[in-house]
Amino acid sequence: MNPIAIIRQFFQGLTAETTPGQIGAGITLGFLIGLMPKATLTAQLLIVLMMATRVNIPMAILTVLAVSLANPLLDKVSDPIGYALLTSSALRPLWTKLYNMPIMPWTGFNNTVVPGGLVLGTLLAAPVYFAGRRFGVFYNDKFRARVMNSKVVKGLKASWLLDWYFKGEV
Amino acid sequence: MRWSYVAPRLALLVLLWAFFFFAFDPLLKWGLIKGIEKGAKAKAEIASLETSFLHPSLRITGLAVADSGSEYSNLLEFSELSFAAEGAPLLEKKLVVDAASLKGLRFGTPRKTSGRLAFVKEESSELVESMKAESTGFALDRASEAKADLSADYKVDPAGLESVKLARQMEETYQKDYADISARFDAKKYQDGLDALKARYEKAKGEKNPLKQAKEYAGIAKEVKALTADFKKDKEEAEAALAAAGDAFKAVEDARARDMAALMAKMKLPSLDTQSIARMLAGPVIAEKTALAMKWMGIAKKYMPANTKGVLKNEARRGREVHFPKEKTYPTLLVRRLELTGELGLEDPLGYSGTVEGLTTQPQVYGRPTVAAIKGAKGARRLDFSASLDATGDIIKTASRLSYTGMPVKELRLGSPASFMVDITGGTGALEATLATEGEKIAGKAAARLAGASFKPRAENIKAAPLRSAVESSFAGLSSAVIGADISGTVSSPRLAVNTDLANALSKAFTGAMGAEVKKAQEAAKAKVDEALKPHRARLEGLAAEKQAELGEKLKDAEAGVAGKAEKLLKDLVPGKAKLPKFKL
Repeated sequence: MNPIAIIRQFFQGLTAETTPGQIGAGITLGFLIGLMPKATLTAQLLIVLMMATRVNIPMAILTVLAVSLANPLLDKVSDPIGYALLTSSALRPLWTKLYNMPIMPWTGFNNTVVPGGLVLGTLLAAPVYFAGRRFGVFYNDKFRARVMNSKVVKGLKASWLLDWYFKGEV
Repeated sequence: MRWSYVAPRLALLVLLWAFFFFAFDPLLKWGLIKGIEKGAKAKAEIASLETSFLHPSLRITGLAVADSGSEYSNLLEFSELSFAAEGAPLLEKKLVVDAASLKGLRFGTPRKTSGRLAFVKEESSELVESMKAESTGFALDRASEAKADLSADYKVDPAGLESVKLARQMEETYQKDYADISARFDAKKYQDGLDALKARYEKAKGEKNPLKQAKEYAGIAKEVKALTADFKKDKEEAEAALAAAGDAFKAVEDARARDMAALMAKMKLPSLDTQSIARMLAGPVIAEKTALAMKWMGIAKKYMPANTKGVLKNEARRGREVHFPKEKTYPTLLVRRLELTGELGLEDPLGYSGTVEGLTTQPQVYGRPTVAAIKGAKGARRLDFSASLDATGDIIKTASRLSYTGMPVKELRLGSPASFMVDITGGTGALEATLATEGEKIAGKAAARLAGASFKPRAENIKAAPLRSAVESSFAGLSSAVIGADISGTVSSPRLAVNTDLANALSKAFTGAMGAEVKKAQEAAKAKVDEALKPHRARLEGLAAEKQAELGEKLKDAEAGVAGKAEKLLKDLVPGKAKLPKFKL
């Protein structure tokens, strides 16, 4: 993905799509992406989903970074879940079929942390969403104005280069 | 939906389609030409290249690759290469071709334009240059003046002798090699390993839980067996390295023969041994052909996988990968069958056709060797070529065989204009050749039989009249000859031995005309070379014998110690020795 596009979405996200629901959805998607190994088609599709839907991108990106930092710890939970699923005799025909299908190996489904992360992420999606939504209310109430008035954001908004690139969208 | 995100990506897809439709073929053609030029170190041309994406296929016409060693000739050219790729493997980023076709393959065709690339210089083959030098340096001038004390006029500088230089160099490398072998074969680590296992066994002996004890015993036994296997492997490697070091003495002997020939040439006297004469006569021609074959081998080697095992490595950085049975595993590139047609020779070319099967970049995944079979016939001419390349194991092995009979020999020139030449015309030839490689090792034989030909010696350079007439008469009644070559050594440094019955005829002529005098001078020269080499050879032999005995003793002691200890430990570890708990009923 184009890193400049991510930066643009990041700054746009500071002002747009900032309802508590959008912040909660962004955090949930970021949490799920953060659990995945990034060099898989699954993670890339989730990133495309994040960019294509009206979720709050800055919160999603920050959550991806935070969860990625915690991966060594979270893998201890997702790895055994994934291993149990991938070695389950009941699911073996399904995995074997997927393994022999084109493109599917690119999703990394046979890596324990991918199915494990998906299951863990799905199980925790509801609590993470509600917690994220509450955080959204808190953020809008306490921090949004401060962030918008911060020197960094103001400086960036005043920059002619960013202004030209974002065409005043920030 | 965030259309500002989706719409640009749709536009990108349209642009991508336009790129493949309009710009992909020219770019691929350019990339292919540059890639070939880099490999062949000469210009390459492609007349046209067409790809199709809906039914993935490629068609290349009019490809010509220039010969880096010959400005106005092509290394090869073909009229058309076409294939269709299988769709499913492409989704796995793999190119699998069931049937490909290569038409009009020809070698050595002339070019109208220069094939030389700017700033690229073709390095001449060391083998060809040394054979040419030997042939040019073969001296006949002073044969008539040969006298017993002729060698007295020539002083031998030991430092200038190739054999002395080699013996000195070998002395140094032998010391280093021995130190390496000795370091590699460290029996102490095995002794220490066994001691540690023995300690574990002693500890396990005291274990009260029989299940735990049996488990520990099994673990120790497994490790003892692994350690013994490692020791055996290291020992075999040390023995093989020692034997290889011993083989190097042959090189000093060969260098001594070359020193002798060089000294004879310096004295402007002909060498009487048939090997030297054969090298003078047929060496340059055979070396040139061998260099060409080696060049092709070098090009092929560039595209061979260096470590076929590496391509299967797929370790995840996070998590663990669970693998399932794969119905079909494709190599990255595979051409199952390539139909081949072409022509051999420029005047009155011989048409041939054949197949190459299992052409792949991942032979271990494919699991089968690459095989080629080519046949051709025209009138009395018969061509039969077969080759195989087996890279499915750890070592790459190749084997090839060529038989070409009824080959017309219009003009063949042997020897060197500086010394002596034979022109062979108007006969037919039969060539039988085999070549095999195993890793870096190379071994091959080739024999060309000429029949019904006329042999015209060109002995103008031989000033001594009796010798000249003896040489001319020795070729007078000849109508057939055999020229053979044996290749050995390694792919990067091949050794070539040439033999021909023409050399026997020439040697007889030399010996008959002035053999006695030349032989005396030769004996004196030999004595001089031997005298210069003697102290170095003695030192080298002494060193080798001493080190071999030392390492042999070390190996013997280590084997007795390690094998004995391991055997005893294994005996102690038999299940019968595990104490079972006693139950009182």
